[in-house]
Amino acid sequence: MSLKDVEVRGRKIEAVLLLAIILASTPLIIGFSLLTLSSFSKHMVTNFDPNSFKFTLINWVRFLEGRMAITGGVRISVINIILNTLIVALGVAFVTTLIGTLAGYAISRMNFRYRKQLLLLLLLLHAFPGSVLIVGVYLIYIVTMPSNPEFIRYYSLFYVVIARAALEVPMAIWLMKGFFDLVPWEIEWAAIVDGASRIKVWWKVMLPLVKPGIAAIMLFGFLAGWQDLIYVRTFLQERTLATFIEANLEAEYSHMPLLAAVATFYLLPTIVFFVTSQKLLLKVTLAGVKR
Amino acid sequence: MLYKLNNFFHKLYRFEALFFLIPALIIVFLFFILPVILSVYISFTPLKNWNIGKYLGEIVGFNNYYRFFYMIQHDPGTRSVFLTTIVFIAVTLTINVLGGLFLALATFFVYEKASAFIRTLWLLPRMAPIAVYSLVWYYFFHASRIGTLNSILLSIGLIDKPIDIGQKIIPWGPWSIIIFVNGLVGVSFGMIVFTSAINNIPKELVIAARVDGATNWQISRRILIPLMKWHILYVTTWQLLSLLTTYAHIFLLVKWNLVHRDYGTTWSLYIYNAAFTGTFDQGLAAAAGVILVVIGGVLGWITLKILGFDRMITRPRGDI
Amino acid sequence: MTGRYRAVSKYAVAIIVVVIIIVAIIAAVYMMPKEEAATPTTTSPTTTPTTPPKAIELTGDFEKDVVEVGKALEANGISEVKYSVWGAGDPNSVMRVYGIVEVAERINKIWEENGVNVRITITDKKYDADFKAQYEEYLSKQPLGQAGDFFVNSYVFISVLAKEGYILDITDYANKYSSLLEDFYSTLLDAMKYKGRMYGLPQDTEARPLYIRKDVAGCTGLDLSNLDEKVKNGEFTWSDVYNWAKQAKDKGCAEWGLVHRKGSAHPDLVQFIYAFGGELYDPDEDKVVIDKEAIYKWLYVEWKFARDGLLPEDIMAWDWAKQIHPTIVSGNTLFDIGGTWYWTEWQTKEYYTDPETNETRGLKPEEVKEWFYYTLFPAGESGKQPVTLSQPFAWMINSKAGQQNPKYDDLKELYHELAFLVIVKASDPDINAIHSIISSHLPVRKAAANLLKNSTWLDKLKNLEIDLCDEVKNAIKDIVEATVHSINAEFLANVGYMLEYTKFAPSHPVYPKVAEFFAEAVDKVLRGEMDPEQAVNYIIDKVNADPEIKAEVKIVGEIPSGWSFP
Repeated sequence: MSLKDVEVRGRKIEAVLLLAIILASTPLIIGFSLLTLSSFSKHMVTNFDPNSFKFTLINWVRFLEGRMAITGGVRISVINIILNTLIVALGVAFVTTLIGTLAGYAISRMNFRYRKQLLLLLLLLHAFPGSVLIVGVYLIYIVTMPSNPEFIRYYSLFYVVIARAALEVPMAIWLMKGFFDLVPWEIEWAAIVDGASRIKVWWKVMLPLVKPGIAAIMLFGFLAGWQDLIYVRTFLQERTLATFIEANLEAEYSHMPLLAAVATFYLLPTIVFFVTSQKLLLKVTLAGVKR
Repeated sequence: MLYKLNNFFHKLYRFEALFFLIPALIIVFLFFILPVILSVYISFTPLKNWNIGKYLGEIVGFNNYYRFFYMIQHDPGTRSVFLTTIVFIAVTLTINVLGGLFLALATFFVYEKASAFIRTLWLLPRMAPIAVYSLVWYYFFHASRIGTLNSILLSIGLIDKPIDIGQKIIPWGPWSIIIFVNGLVGVSFGMIVFTSAINNIPKELVIAARVDGATNWQISRRILIPLMKWHILYVTTWQLLSLLTTYAHIFLLVKWNLVHRDYGTTWSLYIYNAAFTGTFDQGLAAAAGVILVVIGGVLGWITLKILGFDRMITRPRGDI
Repeated sequence: MTGRYRAVSKYAVAIIVVVIIIVAIIAAVYMMPKEEAATPTTTSPTTTPTTPPKAIELTGDFEKDVVEVGKALEANGISEVKYSVWGAGDPNSVMRVYGIVEVAERINKIWEENGVNVRITITDKKYDADFKAQYEEYLSKQPLGQAGDFFVNSYVFISVLAKEGYILDITDYANKYSSLLEDFYSTLLDAMKYKGRMYGLPQDTEARPLYIRKDVAGCTGLDLSNLDEKVKNGEFTWSDVYNWAKQAKDKGCAEWGLVHRKGSAHPDLVQFIYAFGGELYDPDEDKVVIDKEAIYKWLYVEWKFARDGLLPEDIMAWDWAKQIHPTIVSGNTLFDIGGTWYWTEWQTKEYYTDPETNETRGLKPEEVKEWFYYTLFPAGESGKQPVTLSQPFAWMINSKAGQQNPKYDDLKELYHELAFLVIVKASDPDINAIHSIISSHLPVRKAAANLLKNSTWLDKLKNLEIDLCDEVKNAIKDIVEATVHSINAEFLANVGYMLEYTKFAPSHPVYPKVAEFFAEAVDKVLRGEMDPEQAVNYIIDKVNADPEIKAEVKIVGEIPSGWSFP
């Protein structure tokens, strides 16, 4: 992979390149670190004034207590908010994976009428502006809203999950198709000849062979649901971490370091997933982008 | 009786693919095709405040389109949205493609562990929660002394008063911010695609060139880049479509007044804001949206043709 | 070959089963009976054996009415009424939400005492910092049936919400409670109306005084004794403000002469328009008014202050917590256009850096009193009147209030009547008084104002020895500790007179958009991007650019020539 074996240039060039990259990455590193630092400070640390950092844990304490202000404010259930974000993320992961593996298999293995057109359509969907789609999706939402108030909450959760998952589906299908394509036909053929139905073949034989693909889609789906702002603010009746941050900034009275604590917490799963699945992410995104 | 049924299902057999495809087909129809049709319908109604009972039955013809064009002519704010969209797409696209290329090539020439870390770091903007991402840049570009960028520039003496990039330096201030914010997200896409392309290039070519004493730049220019032509085209066209339609990452920056509203809003964001915030004018939003869909659709179709996807789609691997 | 047929049948069965399940689920969701299974009634109604009442006649006697409603609900088999409440604002104003919680408990007690077996439960208390954002959320979610049953927000949104039918018209109910209505300050009731009909009860209000730093004034030589009288008489005008601000800066007493609020969410700089004798709304034509002369003069004042370095050019982008408040609190400005709620905000938020200990803290009530003088917003020029601006908040009722409850379609009227009675009780003097003092807003009714003057009551409140349910007591405990003080009560009593001079920004659907244009224009003149005349024309161009806004706006007057300031 690297050129170490035949390296004739000095380490110098490599160091220069590295420096260039780090320089380009500085805003990123600074921005995110300052945010995390501020969550432990009495005041927001946004410049390099060392006086502005006064260590305190009160922001985290208040956050976990569910209070949006240092004095006053209504006690909210932070657990609920975090749970809602989690449910959306898991829901999107599940739906995307399910549909992606099902459709990806069929497209990879079966020749049906309009197969090519379907694949091209999936690509073309990328050109549909999300903000226009969401207007229509919202109209459907209003029209199909159940009138029984018991169900409104669940329906909004259900709807936000499938609406958000829908955005990831085209890419998921292409990705899974790519993975299924790599599996040798012979294995499948053997199972079918033995009398297994297509579904059984899919479930018992194929899925285990494309585990990295499934892991990738679940990961992407989860992160897509976890990070989402627009769909949860538009459809979900409940609060998630995203809408919570949105609603509490830039009003006259918010206490910013509190918000920094919320944001840092919100960022954690992303970082965790990153660190643990570095290899998987890169390997899979590389493999998925197949011709 | 059973025989007739079986016969019927025998014909269905050809459609066993349907079982696997139905969920995807339903989803695509319900969340892509149908919404576009509905948006077209909405654009012909005076829908506002989502009061569908009151407004959805009324047809006002092309009134919303007329209003939209009227505002483009008379309202400098709406005109700016157009200009912003064009500049935003052009510049961010260049940054995304070139940036992705630079990162992919640079990490190729740098030792393995560092490149893995760098690639992961640059995926962060794309993966981070949007609200958190926006908060980071809100404080970075804040107009006063407390803004990170301002305090850096102040401390090295480049400026003597804090500058309000997002609201004061029109139009390049807000443009730079939204380009920067979206650029960081977009670069990762190119980086990934190009890295994969480079990995597919036979190492012998590179090693041979190295042995002949070629510099990194020569290797890139003579060997790597020419072999990545399709990928470069793919990233360019794909990102073009993405940039035309993206709005989530700048939504909060505009809402929080970090950037000037007219020069920080792209067409796509304009549509969302018109429908769900501010004036709650869904009819107008739909009209502006339908036009964007047409443009997007045409560009998308051209993209598919250029990239030759239809030629690349081979027959499926195994069918009985 | 047979294997394939077997596979086919399996497929067929699978598809059919899945389809049937999906259809069944959809059918179940939509055809689910909306009422619950019949709840066993514990007491058999001794009254009419025929249909139980679907509505009652309000009499104006609160206890009687609420018991009647309770009995009617019970007769219909209801034992629990669920309501949710949405409120917004600063962290000290949580009584906007907890007030309803307290009322629920009070009503439950009355019902218990009268043998009515029903309870009100508050299911959701939503409280956001940004009230405008919550209004937008209400607008999206109400048609879906997802919005709160009670909506406590600015009166400014009443016009749109009423027009779309998203809030309840309570005129007929309110007319039965005329004695309550008479105790409210009458201008506030006007703000609750749209096209003559009433859509809410006043929850609170405030004034926006001009704060003056006593220490900076002393340094500058500005004599503050009786200044508020001079402002009231129109003797002290904005020309005087300018002159003193300039002197303060020239003598080095303060870095700035004037600081004010920012952003378009609170376009209360329109006080300038009123101070120059202009109008913003024409009630006969129901149109927003652009008064070119008054607006020109307003923008001219802003422009002049900024050009002479007395007002920060970029103040419209200043950060509340890091710049605006610290500047005022540390005496870096002579004048400040602020709000009455600043008085306690400076005590509960840590804006002040103590020069001796270098720690940041809130101010003590004594310090606030010692350092700040307050007057009405002065007249623009001689011959004009001083003003202030209020943005009252209102208790509003969702037109779908009670939607969470069984038999909603059938008993709608009862749920609505009960909701109205809830906001009547929320207007109890003690609830209003508690809210006023802990959040430094002004009371909306005379009975509440009287309570605030009662020092015994204040002492009891300070020790939390008042009649509140535990949940509310716990919630406001720390705010009470920080804010209940005789100095603060005195302040509220002292600013009460401002309500007689107060104006309201128009509650008209296009006004918020026009207000945004104002904010943009102010920003441009402050930064020197436009001069006042250009800015006035900018506003007019923006108004004319959207045909829908243009139709609802009336432009009057001319830009005066040869007008000078100060």
